[in-house]
Parts: sequence; structure tokens; C-alpha cells
Amino acid sequence: MGGSKMDNAARRAIRITEITLLLSALALFIVGTISGDTFYLRLATEALIFGGLALSVDLLLGIVGLLSLGQALYFGFGAYLSAVVLKEVAPSLALSLLIVALASAALGYLASFIALRSKGVYFALITFGLAQIMAKAVYNTRELGASDGLIGVPVLQLWTPFGPLDTANPGVLFAITLFIIGALYAVLRYLLTTPMGQIWRGVQSNEHRLEFIGVDPRGPKRFAFVIAAIVAAVSGALYPVLRGFVSPELLYFAVSGNAVITVILGGVGTLIGPIVGAVLLTLFKSVVGTFTAHHHIIVGIIFVIVVINAPKGLVGFLVGRLNRKSEGAPHGHD
Amino acid sequence: MATTDTQASSAVLTARQLSKRFGGLKAVESVDFTITRHGVTSIIGPNGAGKSTFFNLVNGALLPDSGHVLLEGEDITRLSPSKRLAKGMARSFQITNLFSDLTVLDNLRLACQFLEPRASLLRPLERSRIADARCQELLSEFSLLAYASMRAGALSHGHQRRLEIAMAMATRPSLLLLDEPTQGMSHADTHETAQLIAALGAHTTILLIEHDVDLVMTLSKKIMVMSQGEKLAEGSPDEIKGNPAVQAAYFGEAV
Repeated sequence: MGGSKMDNAARRAIRITEITLLLSALALFIVGTISGDTFYLRLATEALIFGGLALSVDLLLGIVGLLSLGQALYFGFGAYLSAVVLKEVAPSLALSLLIVALASAALGYLASFIALRSKGVYFALITFGLAQIMAKAVYNTRELGASDGLIGVPVLQLWTPFGPLDTANPGVLFAITLFIIGALYAVLRYLLTTPMGQIWRGVQSNEHRLEFIGVDPRGPKRFAFVIAAIVAAVSGALYPVLRGFVSPELLYFAVSGNAVITVILGGVGTLIGPIVGAVLLTLFKSVVGTFTAHHHIIVGIIFVIVVINAPKGLVGFLVGRLNRKSEGAPHGHD
Repeated sequence: MATTDTQASSAVLTARQLSKRFGGLKAVESVDFTITRHGVTSIIGPNGAGKSTFFNLVNGALLPDSGHVLLEGEDITRLSPSKRLAKGMARSFQITNLFSDLTVLDNLRLACQFLEPRASLLRPLERSRIADARCQELLSEFSLLAYASMRAGALSHGHQRRLEIAMAMATRPSLLLLDEPTQGMSHADTHETAQLIAALGAHTTILLIEHDVDLVMTLSKKIMVMSQGEKLAEGSPDEIKGNPAVQAAYFGEAV
């Protein structure tokens, strides 16, 4: 029936996008490493980091149905904590990721008690407010560099079978980032194949009904909120490794809002769409940014065009195309 | 005449002196009622008679001002709907209330998740064998196999109702509450749903709230007639038909 074809098309669209992204990443890695490129490898690394942030927004928005306007809180938290660990404790990426994951889980758990009291627009406003509080607090904390942020995050040495490598090598850092963001993606994709993932979609579809089939939605929502915090924070933890510094801007609404735009452009609820969105937006901003400082205007225009013509984002658009091909008949979205 | 207390041994649900007021309005006033095992027991009454309020007091959507609800002899008056489910009470909804973005199978899977241990939450879906097996049973029992991978929202109204009842049956409840299951249905769909309810009634205890008097008369072993929040009469369909007070309050107006 129509439903199953739709599902198959969605699955295929996601698979095609995953493979395309992975092959592009490998091609970039090989070509970039051989040609000694720095610019594009670092740009792609940045895209993946912000892709991780978008992934966390999509878990909440696209899967559970909660619009967070404050994921920068966890992203920035991860970035600052990682910078502090790398500078003050030990220059070890594994250690910093571990500490960030644990601390962000605790932070997300605490914040969930405030944010999950409400739904819809109120949830969005509370997440926004929490992020603003954190941003102002960091901005006014001298120990964290206040408005200047923290600079001088060291280059990290890695011991590998190929001999010692360091994160100043853009190819190495790109590969590490690809691996970590890929792992976060894999964990989320796995969770969607469990009853937990099904309950999340149930919350989005009809939360009230869950209670009458014996499922208390509060636990699964809290779990999603904490997972989203960890995903955002671990992505953020890579930022100072790439840039060597962190600044309060990482916690600002621009970062949270950009992540939401990324998700919508890429395809809400697809998980891979946000990564594609992040890659395209980052690339686009960088390319257009060399011609004009007003690239936000152009991003805004593109956003409006995409939302009107492909409301399910780029991956959703691909699903529609696959459907049309397999049915040979015109088919509106949904 | 079914005097309720003598049948306490086979009573699945007992309402004792159940009352609920909304401001000055006595929505349900001191209602005593017993539902015995298996078969369909129905509540009818004109609009505003208190059927829905009574139904909601039984299913836990509303808490009574006074009185008690007993399921299998256990007081469940103040239990939440999900705790009632654990005790064996399931319900369907008057307005179709599905996970309309999810497939039929996913709707059933969610309803069957309750049968699984909590630990299965983070394991792959294929490992939830109990829920899986129950889903397959429900798909065939409710003739939904052909629609398993269809979005619930895309089903016809009759099929949505059937899915709704299938979901309520997922946990093999000892008492199934059906709130106007044929509301808004075509004649053919109503007939089909009636057959389904009759079949379920053979091995399940069902409480039915329904506007369609003909349907209630054919399906029920026992009927309670409510009027202005109070129990007007109760008995077999024949007893109800012959009751002059019922005819005055209900049939006189409806026919």
C-alpha cells in the first residue's frame, strides 16, 4: 500500500544520503591529504561539528516533537569544558570527551526538570531562556575569559599505529571528527530502531494517548533530552580542538537558531538531513562570505524558498522524488 | 431481576454510590452498578444523562466526589489510567485517538510495549518477541494484516475504529471500555463493528457506551439506562424495552 512505499522511499533516501556523504568525506580526506589542503578539510570539520549540534536539535524536534531554541547551551558548555580540560587538566581528547559526556548528561538531566514542565512554544522559550542565562553567566565570568573567551587550547598528540600524529594536521582532525560525529549519528540511528525510539515518535504523534496504553512519556522524553544534551556537548567539545579557542558567542541564540535552520533545510526527523544541511550551509556561508558580508540575507532567502517548496527539507525532497519514480505518478508531499 | 450484590463473585467491575458534580450540576448521582464477567454490558440514556461522566469515572479520566470503583474486587477509584491498565482495564476513545503519523503496525507495537519488560526499551525492536507475537495476533484477529504498513491516519474511518479497539485489546484486558465505537460510521461499518464487538464479548467483559439503541439491544446481555445523572433502570434488553419509565424518558423522546 501507499504507506509502505513511502517508508521504503524514506529508508532509501536516507541510505543514499548516508553513502553519498560518507563517500564525499572519504574523497575529501584522500584528495585533501594528498594535495596538502588545509582550508576545505578544516571547513568540513567545522561543518561536521555543527552537524552534530543539528543532530541533537533533530532528535528533539524531528523525533520527539520538541522545538529547542537553546541547544547552544550544551554545545557551548561542551566547548568550554573541553577547552578547560585540555588546557588545565591534560591535553587528552579522550579524557575531555569523557568528562564532557558525563557532565553534559548531568546538566541535561537537571535542565530537563525545568524545560520538560512545558510543551510547544513554552518549551521553546524555556530552552531559549536557559541558554541565555548560561551565555550571560559565561560572558561575565572572568575565570572563563569573559567576553574574550578562552584561548590557547593546545594541539593534541595522538599515538596511532601509523606513528604519532597531531590535531594540527587538518586531515587527522577531520578523520577524528568524522569518526566521533559518525558514532553519535550511529547511536541515534540505533535508538530509533528500539521501542524507545518508537515511543519518542509516539510522543510526537499523540503524547496523550500513550498514557492509555500504559506508557508514561515522561521518562522517554527526559532520556531524549539528556541524549540530545550529550550529542550537542560532545560536538561542541571538538570545537576548541579545531579552533584553539572558545568564546561566549558559541552559547548565543545565533548558534541555536542556526541549528534549527540547518535541521529544517536538511530534513526534519531524518537525522542525516541535519548533517547534510550543516555541510551545505557551512560551505555556502564560506563561499558566499568571500564575496559579501551579507551572506545572512542570502541564507534567509534560501531558507524561505526551501520551506515553501520542500517543507520536508532536502532529504524529504529526495524521498518525494524516489516516490514519484517508483509510482510513476505525480504525488504531492504527504 | 439482576440484583447486583448476589453476583459479587463474578463481578468484574462494581460502582458503589458513585457521584460527580460539576458546579451545581449533578452529572452522576449515587449510581450503583455491577458488570459481570464476559459479554457486553451497555449504558444508554439521552444526551446529558451522565453516561460519559460515568464512563470517565470508571476509566479514571475523572475522579468522583464520592463513591468507589472496584475492579475484580480491588478499589481502583483513584488510580491513574495507566495504573488501571496494569490492573486489566483498557479503553477506546469516542474520537479516534491514534498515532496517526505512525503505521498500523507501529500503533499496535506501541500498545503492546506494555507486555514487554522495561529492559527491552533499548534493545532492537525485533527482540521484543512477546510484543511482536501479540501484534501479529491482533493484526489477523482484527483483519488489519493488509494495512500493517499503512499510516494509521490514512485508514478509513471504520478501519481506524477497528485499530483503536485492537490497541485497547493489546494487553488482553479483563475489562474493555468502549466509548461510542460506531459514532460517525456508515451503516456497513457499524454492522461490521457490531460483529466485532459481539465476537470479542464471547471471551472479554465489555462496557459499551452507545447512542445507537438498536445496536445496544442486539449486543448487550445487560443494559443500564441513565437519566439526569441517575440510574433509571437496569436489566436485560427485553426488560428495558418493557420498562415504562425508560419509554417515557428515552424512547418516547428518541422515536
